Amino acid sequence: MKRTSVKIVVAGGFGTGKTTLVGSVSEIAPLTTEELLTEAGVGVDDVTGVESKTTTTVALDFGRITISPDVVLYLFGTPGQDRFWFMWDELAQGAIGAIVLVDTRRLDSSFPAVDYFERRGIPFVAAVNRFFGECPYTEEEIRGALELGADVPLVWLDARDRASSKLALVSLVRHAMARLPVARAH
Amino acid sequence: MIEDWDGDDESEAGRFLPLYILVNGRTTPRNSSLDLATQVIALAADATRLEPEYLQILNRCGNWISIAEIGAYLHIPLTIVKVMVDVLLEQGYLDSGSPAQQRVVDPALLGAVLAGLERL
Ligand SMILES: Nc1nc2c(ncn2[C@@H]2O[C@H](COP(=O)(O)OP(=O)(O)OP(=O)(O)O)[C@@H](O)[C@H]2O)c(=O)[nH]1
Ligand SMILES: [Mg+2]
Repeated sequence: MKRTSVKIVVAGGFGTGKTTLVGSVSEIAPLTTEELLTEAGVGVDDVTGVESKTTTTVALDFGRITISPDVVLYLFGTPGQDRFWFMWDELAQGAIGAIVLVDTRRLDSSFPAVDYFERRGIPFVAAVNRFFGECPYTEEEIRGALELGADVPLVWLDARDRASSKLALVSLVRHAMARLPVARAH
Repeated sequence: MIEDWDGDDESEAGRFLPLYILVNGRTTPRNSSLDLATQVIALAADATRLEPEYLQILNRCGNWISIAEIGAYLHIPLTIVKVMVDVLLEQGYLDSGSPAQQRVVDPALLGAVLAGLERL
Protein backbone atom coordinates (compact mmCIF):
# COMPACT_ATOMS: atom_id res chain seq x y z
CA MET A 1 0.00 0.00 0.00
CA LYS A 2 1.18 3.52 -0.76
CA ARG A 3 1.74 5.79 2.23
CA THR A 4 -1.72 7.19 2.90
CA SER A 5 -3.04 9.92 5.13
CA VAL A 6 -6.57 10.28 6.42
CA LYS A 7 -8.12 13.24 8.18
CA ILE A 8 -10.70 13.77 10.86
CA VAL A 9 -11.95 17.28 11.52
CA VAL A 10 -12.54 18.40 15.09
CA ALA A 11 -15.09 21.20 14.93
CA GLY A 12 -17.41 23.09 17.23
CA GLY A 13 -17.86 26.57 18.55
CA PHE A 14 -15.28 28.79 20.16
CA GLY A 15 -13.72 27.24 23.26
CA THR A 16 -15.59 23.94 23.07
CA GLY A 17 -12.46 21.84 23.66
CA LYS A 18 -11.19 21.17 20.13
CA THR A 19 -7.52 21.65 20.87
CA THR A 20 -7.88 19.73 24.12
CA LEU A 21 -9.34 16.72 22.29
CA VAL A 22 -6.64 16.79 19.63
CA GLY A 23 -3.98 16.95 22.34
CA SER A 24 -5.43 14.11 24.39
CA VAL A 25 -5.26 11.53 21.58
CA SER A 26 -2.40 12.78 19.43
CA GLU A 27 0.96 11.00 19.58
CA ILE A 28 2.70 14.36 19.19
CA ALA A 29 2.00 17.59 21.08
CA PRO A 30 -0.50 19.49 18.92
CA LEU A 31 1.20 21.49 16.19
CA THR A 32 0.03 24.77 14.77
CA THR A 33 0.21 25.61 11.12
CA GLU A 34 -0.79 28.83 9.48
CA GLU A 35 -2.57 29.77 6.33
CA LEU A 36 -2.74 33.16 4.69
CA LEU A 37 -6.14 34.33 3.60
CA THR A 38 -7.12 37.46 1.79
CA GLU A 39 -9.88 39.58 3.17
CA ALA A 40 -12.22 38.07 0.62
CA GLY A 41 -11.73 34.78 2.42
CA VAL A 42 -10.01 32.93 -0.39
CA GLY A 43 -6.44 31.66 -0.63
CA VAL A 44 -3.84 34.13 -1.76
CA ASP A 45 -3.98 33.58 -5.49
CA ASP A 46 -3.00 36.83 -7.09
CA VAL A 47 0.64 37.74 -6.94
CA THR A 48 0.33 41.21 -8.33
CA GLY A 49 -2.42 42.16 -5.93
CA VAL A 50 -0.84 40.80 -2.80
CA GLU A 51 0.58 44.04 -1.55
CA SER A 52 -2.64 45.97 -1.84
CA LYS A 53 -4.94 43.29 -0.45
CA THR A 54 -5.50 42.84 3.21
CA THR A 55 -4.37 39.42 4.20
CA THR A 56 -4.98 37.67 7.44
CA THR A 57 -3.40 34.67 9.06
CA VAL A 58 -5.45 31.81 10.39
CA ALA A 59 -3.91 29.23 12.69
CA LEU A 60 -4.86 25.54 12.64
CA ASP A 61 -4.09 23.08 15.40
CA PHE A 62 -3.53 19.50 14.50
CA GLY A 63 -2.31 16.20 15.85
CA ARG A 64 -1.29 12.83 14.45
CA ILE A 65 -2.00 9.17 15.16
CA THR A 66 0.03 6.53 13.33
CA ILE A 67 -2.43 3.79 12.43
CA SER A 68 0.00 1.45 10.67
CA PRO A 69 3.29 1.79 8.80
CA ASP A 70 1.25 2.88 5.77
CA VAL A 71 -1.58 4.89 7.25
CA VAL A 72 -1.44 8.07 9.33
CA LEU A 73 -4.45 9.83 10.76
CA TYR A 74 -4.42 13.60 11.18
CA LEU A 75 -6.82 15.39 13.47
CA PHE A 76 -7.43 18.98 12.49
CA GLY A 77 -9.14 21.45 14.77
CA THR A 78 -11.18 24.05 12.92
CA PRO A 79 -10.44 27.72 13.50
CA GLY A 80 -12.89 29.06 16.06
CA GLN A 81 -14.29 31.97 14.09
CA ASP A 82 -16.91 31.48 11.42
CA ARG A 83 -15.28 33.87 9.00
CA PHE A 84 -12.72 31.22 8.10
CA TRP A 85 -15.09 28.93 6.21
CA PHE A 86 -12.54 28.66 3.44
CA MET A 87 -10.31 26.69 5.77
CA TRP A 88 -13.17 24.42 6.74
CA ASP A 89 -13.54 23.43 3.09
CA GLU A 90 -9.87 22.59 2.87
CA LEU A 91 -10.01 20.56 6.08
CA ALA A 92 -13.24 18.75 5.24
CA GLN A 93 -12.28 17.75 1.72
CA GLY A 94 -11.44 14.07 1.73
CA ALA A 95 -11.92 13.78 5.49
CA ILE A 96 -13.38 10.64 7.04
CA GLY A 97 -15.72 12.95 8.89
CA ALA A 98 -15.97 15.30 11.82
CA ILE A 99 -16.42 15.38 15.54
CA VAL A 100 -18.55 18.37 16.47
CA LEU A 101 -17.81 19.33 20.05
CA VAL A 102 -20.68 20.73 22.01
CA ASP A 103 -20.44 22.83 25.17
CA THR A 104 -23.76 22.62 27.01
CA ARG A 105 -23.30 26.14 28.37
CA ARG A 106 -23.48 27.42 24.81
CA LEU A 107 -25.30 24.83 22.73
CA ASP A 108 -25.95 27.23 19.88
CA SER A 109 -22.24 27.92 19.35
CA SER A 110 -21.90 24.47 17.76
CA PHE A 111 -24.90 24.83 15.48
CA PRO A 112 -22.95 26.35 12.53
CA ALA A 113 -20.63 23.32 12.59
CA VAL A 114 -23.55 20.86 12.62
CA ASP A 115 -25.15 22.76 9.79
CA TYR A 116 -21.92 22.82 7.79
CA PHE A 117 -21.37 19.05 7.83
CA GLU A 118 -25.07 18.25 7.48
CA ARG A 119 -25.37 20.32 4.30
CA ARG A 120 -22.35 18.72 2.72
CA GLY A 121 -23.31 15.19 3.64
CA ILE A 122 -20.08 14.71 5.59
CA PRO A 123 -20.38 12.09 8.36
CA PHE A 124 -20.13 13.58 11.84
CA VAL A 125 -20.86 12.78 15.45
CA ALA A 126 -21.88 15.27 18.10
CA ALA A 127 -19.66 14.99 21.16
CA VAL A 128 -20.93 16.71 24.26
CA ASN A 129 -17.97 17.89 26.32
CA ARG A 130 -18.78 17.46 29.98
CA PHE A 131 -16.80 20.41 31.25
CA PHE A 132 -17.98 20.14 34.79
CA GLY A 133 -19.37 16.63 34.89
CA GLU A 134 -22.97 17.79 35.14
CA CYS A 135 -25.10 18.20 32.08
CA PRO A 136 -28.26 20.26 32.42
CA TYR A 137 -29.85 18.77 29.30
CA THR A 138 -31.08 15.38 28.20
CA GLU A 139 -29.88 13.83 24.97
CA GLU A 140 -33.26 14.63 23.42
CA GLU A 141 -32.96 18.30 24.33
CA ILE A 142 -29.47 18.53 22.84
CA ARG A 143 -30.55 16.74 19.68
CA GLY A 144 -33.46 19.12 19.36
CA ALA A 145 -31.40 22.26 19.93
CA LEU A 146 -28.78 21.21 17.37
CA GLU A 147 -31.34 19.76 14.95
CA LEU A 148 -29.40 16.51 14.80
CA GLY A 149 -30.64 13.89 12.39
CA ALA A 150 -31.82 10.65 14.02
CA ASP A 151 -28.86 8.75 12.55
CA VAL A 152 -26.22 11.16 13.88
CA PRO A 153 -24.47 9.58 16.88
CA LEU A 154 -24.28 11.62 20.05
CA VAL A 155 -21.55 10.79 22.54
CA TRP A 156 -20.61 12.26 25.91
CA LEU A 157 -16.96 12.94 26.53
CA ASP A 158 -14.31 14.63 28.57
CA ALA A 159 -11.94 16.04 25.96
CA ARG A 160 -9.08 15.94 28.47
CA ASP A 161 -9.40 12.19 28.77
CA ARG A 162 -7.63 10.08 26.17
CA ALA A 163 -9.92 7.05 26.46
CA SER A 164 -12.98 9.25 26.23
CA SER A 165 -11.70 11.12 23.17
CA LYS A 166 -10.71 7.84 21.57
CA LEU A 167 -14.28 6.54 21.93
CA ALA A 168 -15.59 9.61 20.13
CA LEU A 169 -13.18 8.92 17.24
CA VAL A 170 -14.19 5.26 17.14
CA SER A 171 -17.84 6.26 17.07
CA LEU A 172 -17.18 8.57 14.12
CA VAL A 173 -15.29 5.98 12.08
CA ARG A 174 -18.01 3.38 12.70
CA HIS A 175 -20.61 5.91 11.63
CA ALA A 176 -18.65 6.74 8.46
CA MET A 177 -18.38 3.03 7.67
CA ALA A 178 -22.09 2.49 8.20
CA ARG A 179 -22.79 5.23 5.69
CA LEU A 180 -20.68 3.71 2.91
CA PRO A 181 -22.65 2.44 -0.03
CA VAL A 182 -23.27 -1.26 0.53
CA ALA A 183 -20.61 -3.24 -1.31
CA ARG A 184 -21.98 -5.55 -3.97
CA ALA A 185 -21.13 -9.21 -3.78
CA HIS A 186 -19.08 -10.26 -6.79
CA MET B 1 14.54 61.07 6.59
CA ILE B 2 12.82 59.61 9.56
CA GLU B 3 10.71 62.77 10.08
CA ASP B 4 9.26 62.37 6.62
CA TRP B 5 8.16 58.80 7.12
CA ASP B 6 4.40 58.70 6.58
CA GLY B 7 3.76 56.13 9.27
CA ASP B 8 2.48 53.36 7.01
CA ASP B 9 3.21 50.00 8.46
CA GLU B 10 4.90 48.02 5.75
CA SER B 11 5.94 45.13 7.91
CA GLU B 12 3.15 42.94 6.51
CA ALA B 13 4.23 43.36 2.91
CA GLY B 14 7.83 42.92 3.97
CA ARG B 15 6.99 39.61 5.53
CA PHE B 16 5.14 38.28 2.52
CA LEU B 17 7.20 39.35 -0.43
CA PRO B 18 10.30 37.17 -0.15
CA LEU B 19 8.09 34.11 -0.09
CA TYR B 20 6.52 35.02 -3.41
CA ILE B 21 9.86 35.74 -5.01
CA LEU B 22 10.99 32.39 -3.76
CA VAL B 23 8.29 30.49 -5.57
CA ASN B 24 8.83 32.41 -8.81
CA GLY B 25 5.43 33.95 -8.67
CA ARG B 26 3.71 30.63 -8.55
CA THR B 27 1.02 30.69 -5.93
CA THR B 28 -1.11 27.66 -6.66
CA PRO B 29 0.31 24.19 -6.91
CA ARG B 30 0.16 22.72 -10.40
CA ASN B 31 -0.74 19.51 -8.69
CA SER B 32 -4.17 19.83 -7.13
CA SER B 33 -3.91 16.43 -5.48
CA LEU B 34 -1.82 18.01 -2.73
CA ASP B 35 -3.71 18.29 0.51
CA LEU B 36 -2.45 19.55 3.83
CA ALA B 37 -2.27 15.94 5.05
CA THR B 38 -0.52 14.61 1.91
CA GLN B 39 2.61 12.64 2.74
CA VAL B 40 5.98 13.34 1.14
CA ILE B 41 9.47 11.88 1.48
CA ALA B 42 12.90 12.87 0.19
CA LEU B 43 14.34 10.94 -2.74
CA ALA B 44 18.03 10.31 -3.15
CA ALA B 45 19.03 13.28 -5.30
CA ASP B 46 21.88 15.76 -5.38
CA ALA B 47 20.47 18.73 -3.50
CA THR B 48 23.60 20.86 -3.46
CA ARG B 49 22.16 23.35 -5.93
CA LEU B 50 18.88 23.83 -4.12
CA GLU B 51 18.12 27.22 -2.62
CA PRO B 52 18.28 27.19 1.18
CA GLU B 53 14.51 27.63 1.56
CA TYR B 54 13.90 24.49 -0.47
CA LEU B 55 16.72 22.67 1.22
CA GLN B 56 15.23 23.26 4.64
CA ILE B 57 12.00 21.64 3.44
CA LEU B 58 13.88 18.72 1.94
CA ASN B 59 15.82 18.28 5.19
CA ARG B 60 12.51 17.76 7.01
CA CYS B 61 11.52 14.96 4.66
CA GLY B 62 13.94 12.21 5.67
CA ASN B 63 10.88 10.28 6.83
CA TRP B 64 7.32 10.54 5.58
CA ILE B 65 5.85 13.85 6.66
CA SER B 66 2.73 15.85 5.85
CA ILE B 67 2.56 19.28 4.26
CA ALA B 68 0.89 20.57 7.43
CA GLU B 69 3.78 19.35 9.59
CA ILE B 70 6.37 20.95 7.31
CA GLY B 71 4.46 24.23 7.58
CA ALA B 72 4.23 23.95 11.35
CA TYR B 73 7.90 23.12 11.92
CA LEU B 74 9.26 25.69 9.49
CA HIS B 75 6.64 28.39 10.14
CA ILE B 76 5.73 28.67 6.49
CA PRO B 77 2.08 29.28 5.51
CA LEU B 78 0.33 26.26 4.01
CA THR B 79 -0.27 27.75 0.58
CA ILE B 80 3.43 28.42 0.22
CA VAL B 81 4.50 25.02 1.52
CA LYS B 82 2.20 23.43 -1.04
CA VAL B 83 3.72 25.34 -3.92
CA MET B 84 7.27 24.66 -2.77
CA VAL B 85 6.60 20.96 -2.21
CA ASP B 86 5.04 20.83 -5.64
CA VAL B 87 8.22 22.29 -7.15
CA LEU B 88 10.32 19.70 -5.28
CA LEU B 89 8.05 16.89 -6.51
CA GLU B 90 8.27 18.14 -10.06
CA GLN B 91 12.07 18.31 -9.90
CA GLY B 92 12.39 14.82 -8.45
CA TYR B 93 13.60 15.73 -4.99
CA LEU B 94 10.47 14.41 -3.29
CA ASP B 95 8.05 11.56 -3.71
CA SER B 96 4.48 11.69 -2.48
CA GLY B 97 2.11 9.15 -1.01
CA SER B 98 -1.48 8.56 -2.08
CA PRO B 99 -3.08 11.64 -3.61
CA ALA B 100 -5.78 13.47 -1.70
CA GLN B 101 -9.25 12.09 -2.31
CA GLN B 102 -12.60 13.81 -2.51
CA ARG B 103 -14.14 11.26 -0.19
CA VAL B 104 -12.84 8.27 1.75
CA VAL B 105 -14.91 5.41 0.40
CA ASP B 106 -12.50 2.52 0.80
CA PRO B 107 -13.95 0.15 3.43
CA ALA B 108 -10.56 -1.51 3.93
CA LEU B 109 -8.94 1.84 4.74
CA LEU B 110 -11.71 2.79 7.16
CA GLY B 111 -11.47 -0.64 8.74
CA ALA B 112 -7.74 -0.17 9.25
CA VAL B 113 -8.31 3.22 10.86
CA LEU B 114 -10.96 1.78 13.15
CA ALA B 115 -8.71 -1.08 14.22
CA GLY B 116 -5.85 1.34 14.81
CA LEU B 117 -7.99 3.60 16.99
CA GLU B 118 -9.31 0.69 18.99
CA ARG B 119 -5.75 -0.34 19.76
CA LEU B 120 -4.89 3.08 21.20
N1 LIG C 1 -13.37 21.09 32.89
C1 LIG C 1 -13.13 20.85 31.60
N2 LIG C 1 -12.41 21.76 30.91
C2 LIG C 1 -12.17 21.54 29.61
C3 LIG C 1 -12.60 20.36 28.94
N3 LIG C 1 -12.22 20.43 27.65
C4 LIG C 1 -11.57 21.60 27.51
N4 LIG C 1 -11.51 22.26 28.69
C5 LIG C 1 -10.92 23.59 28.92
O1 LIG C 1 -11.68 24.53 28.18
C6 LIG C 1 -10.85 25.53 27.61
C7 LIG C 1 -11.03 25.59 26.11
O2 LIG C 1 -10.53 24.38 25.54
P1 LIG C 1 -9.79 24.36 24.13
O3 LIG C 1 -9.41 22.94 23.87
O4 LIG C 1 -8.73 25.38 24.05
O5 LIG C 1 -10.98 24.79 23.19
P2 LIG C 1 -10.95 25.10 21.64
O6 LIG C 1 -12.24 24.60 21.10
O7 LIG C 1 -9.70 24.61 21.02
O8 LIG C 1 -10.94 26.69 21.67
P3 LIG C 1 -10.71 27.70 20.43
O9 LIG C 1 -9.64 27.11 19.56
O10 LIG C 1 -10.27 28.96 21.11
O11 LIG C 1 -12.04 27.83 19.77
C8 LIG C 1 -9.43 25.16 28.03
O12 LIG C 1 -9.10 25.95 29.14
C9 LIG C 1 -9.52 23.70 28.38
O13 LIG C 1 -8.57 23.34 29.37
C10 LIG C 1 -13.34 19.39 29.71
O14 LIG C 1 -13.77 18.36 29.22
N5 LIG C 1 -13.55 19.69 31.04
MG1 LIG D 1 -8.27 25.65 19.84
